[in-house]
Amino acid sequence: MKKVITVCPYCGSGCKLNLLVENGKVVGAEAANGVTNEGELCLKGYYGWDFLNDTKLLTPRLKQPMIRRQRGGEFEAVSWDEAIAFASSRLKTIKEQYGPDAIMMTGSSRGTGNESNYVAQKFARAVIGTNNIDCCARVCHGPSVAGLMATLGNGAMSNSICEIEDTDCIFVFGYNAADSHPIVARRILKAKEKGAKIIVCDPRFIETARIADLYLPLKNGSNMALVNAFANVLINEKLYKPSFVEQFAEGFDEYKAMVAKYTPEYTAEITGLDPELVKKAIRMYAQAPSATILWGMGVTQWGQAVDVVKGLSSLATLTGNLGRPNVGVGPVRGQNNVQGACDMGALPNTLPGYYSVTDDAARERFAKAWHVDSLPAKVGHSLTEVPHLIEEGELKAYYIFGEDPLQTEPDLGTMRKAFAKLDLIIVQDIFMTKTAMMADVILPATSWGEHENVFSSADRGFQRCYKAVEAPGDVKDDWEIHSLMATAMGYPMHYNNAQEIWDELRGLCHLYTGATYDKMADLGYVQWPCPTEDHPGTPWLYEGNRFDTPSGKALLFAAEWRPPLEKVDADYPLGLCTVREVGHYSCRSMTGNCSALQTLADEPGYVQIHPDDAALYGVKDQSLVWVSSRRGKVITRANINPRVNAGAVYMTYQWWIGACNELTVEHFDPISKTPEYKYSAVKVEAIADQSWAETHVRETYSKMKADMRKAALN
Amino acid sequence: MNRFIIAEPQNCIGCRTCEVACALAHPLPGGEDMLSPANFNPRLKVIKGARVSTPVLCRQCDDAPCANACPSGAIVRRDDSIQVLQERCVGCKTCMVACPYGAMEVTTVPQAAGVLKSRAAKAVALKCDLCIDNPAGPACIASCPTKCLHMVDQQRMAAITKQRREQAALDVPSLPL
Repeated sequence: MKKVITVCPYCGSGCKLNLLVENGKVVGAEAANGVTNEGELCLKGYYGWDFLNDTKLLTPRLKQPMIRRQRGGEFEAVSWDEAIAFASSRLKTIKEQYGPDAIMMTGSSRGTGNESNYVAQKFARAVIGTNNIDCCARVCHGPSVAGLMATLGNGAMSNSICEIEDTDCIFVFGYNAADSHPIVARRILKAKEKGAKIIVCDPRFIETARIADLYLPLKNGSNMALVNAFANVLINEKLYKPSFVEQFAEGFDEYKAMVAKYTPEYTAEITGLDPELVKKAIRMYAQAPSATILWGMGVTQWGQAVDVVKGLSSLATLTGNLGRPNVGVGPVRGQNNVQGACDMGALPNTLPGYYSVTDDAARERFAKAWHVDSLPAKVGHSLTEVPHLIEEGELKAYYIFGEDPLQTEPDLGTMRKAFAKLDLIIVQDIFMTKTAMMADVILPATSWGEHENVFSSADRGFQRCYKAVEAPGDVKDDWEIHSLMATAMGYPMHYNNAQEIWDELRGLCHLYTGATYDKMADLGYVQWPCPTEDHPGTPWLYEGNRFDTPSGKALLFAAEWRPPLEKVDADYPLGLCTVREVGHYSCRSMTGNCSALQTLADEPGYVQIHPDDAALYGVKDQSLVWVSSRRGKVITRANINPRVNAGAVYMTYQWWIGACNELTVEHFDPISKTPEYKYSAVKVEAIADQSWAETHVRETYSKMKADMRKAALN
Repeated sequence: MNRFIIAEPQNCIGCRTCEVACALAHPLPGGEDMLSPANFNPRLKVIKGARVSTPVLCRQCDDAPCANACPSGAIVRRDDSIQVLQERCVGCKTCMVACPYGAMEVTTVPQAAGVLKSRAAKAVALKCDLCIDNPAGPACIASCPTKCLHMVDQQRMAAITKQRREQAALDVPSLPL
């Protein structure tokens, strides 16, 4: 048996594991002693590998290039030459006819790796000539990147996952570590054992709330008001560090004025929290010798998200919890390589290494290295703007790489209507997905485990994945597919392996220059910035309290609280919030094909509802129910759950039948364009005829699976 | 004293890794290799209540109600634990009724093809067997990412009791007796 070192392809914890390979087939996984996971894995790490064996439990693996000559027609299996010629000629025509900005691309924050994201964005910028490339950071931690870039100058976690256990106070805000990052949850538990205080702000009584010293069950949609109230108490009770603020921060006077009215008494009605509890919580945070704020989607997936990130960053600045070990701000990244896709410039406003596309010198340097006359200077479009841009006729082609927007974007009905108007849809993926079903061209790629690559974990740690097995069928590495497309479009591009790509990247980005493949060998972990080859990497940022902002100071920022867009009313009396569950990942094309994970949770998923609401709407536990909003109606199973708050319901977003994104509202943060997945008005209705409902779910599911199988296997 | 596995609820995050590890460590005869809802029979279950998450499993009672209740002598004490001799189980479910922890589950498995093939199914009574035949030890303990599951044997129990007594001695205030 061969053991091959890799990094878990699911959340952003960056757990190292060994794939166990026998006769060219993966037969198991065991934990390796990685820096973040220290020989532990969660269930996705241990049991999330058998999709590599094409179990076809959910969807079949894509094993051959396919084209569809007519919309609505059948897929036709073709050679790579023909598929590339078909896709590139059409893309070229669209570029000539409508200009490069009529083409939109995605990077992939998933199993493909950093090298292929680098090549994808190079294809967008140097070959097509557009900055229209984005990744699913847009729908998750986009606000963290935008907010922290503005306040501190770096959009990533300021400190490391390992440091969490040595902090004296953990301030958890809208972050359910147990379901999103079990291995980070483990660090929180270890911190608790070592005596740290734990504060949890979340409308649900999440696992971490069970061990919290203080639990603040704030009302859904009141984040900004609460963060302002914290700041108000810090200032009024003189709990902040004036010397730190004076020396290393700016904007204090405006900040103080903005939060002046947000006393805990004033915000009590908005947040639903006892003013004394709010004061106790922020005193606990301020008085700890070291304190760490961790946040997740509960902060970012709102119409007001960037403001809240800036507010949280300001709490850390006010209390001097930056620029040293065991403190800081921690937006814990959700997908395994969403940090990496951002690092590689799969964003509409930054080149690899976070150089702005509006930075003339940086653009010139990249243009020279890529042998083109110039690179586009106009900031590209965001992923979430796509449906409207299609409707307005601005976008004609969408090249989707390792993403499933027809499952993961808000308001899927609008999305599907828009997709039908595109002239060209190219999907590059490993599995048949709902998005791939709509494609004109399918370009099948190698999976995690079948290629070498580097991932970035949530705390900026570069790690290598080695190749464990040969890919099945006639598939290619993602970077090779982009290279073939580039060459066919008149830009000769060729790489022999992933390392060549990585070395090209290192040469262009000062943040990554020292992170060589050698340094990352085996269990190696290199956290950027790593400017030179003899540099060990940077576990925590802002040494000497020098921030990466233009002035070198941390910006204090607060904003007026804005309520969520949609209001609950008599017709739609409940607020729907979309959440995660521990056993499934993203659109579930990978975890849904893993036997153990699929066994634990399958269609149509659950709607978590408080016992009082369940009684009010006549809903029985485990029964099938309708959940509907102004945009759609889906069937799912009721989970009567005393840990959720009355007035709100919670659904996870990976189900096809219980697809909560049929219901979610299309409303975005004005800066980051991140959707308000956390609040849509819905109603829940009991279904009298449960046997009809069970049959309906079973038949619908079987048909969806059969259709995908037929399409993929021709 | 029998050995037993117990969880520290404060360290459980409800992730169910232990359930999968347990099911995979105990494949049922005649079943498929891949886990599916049909053959998923973990011998411990993660319970998530309003304020607690924790796996619940057999306490290996020294005076085991399941063993006392079993009419066919299928439940025995072996190697400081309570074990089921599946060949003797008739599937009467008395043990399930008797167990105060809900730690016993009676189910049927397809009968391995024998000479006579007279029966299509065989009853089995499933409970935690401490992975007694696994040289690597209990699968659940090894898999738990937060290490909340522990094997408690006589030695460990003695150590814990000693520590508690010492703590109790320290906590006694000076009393005017």
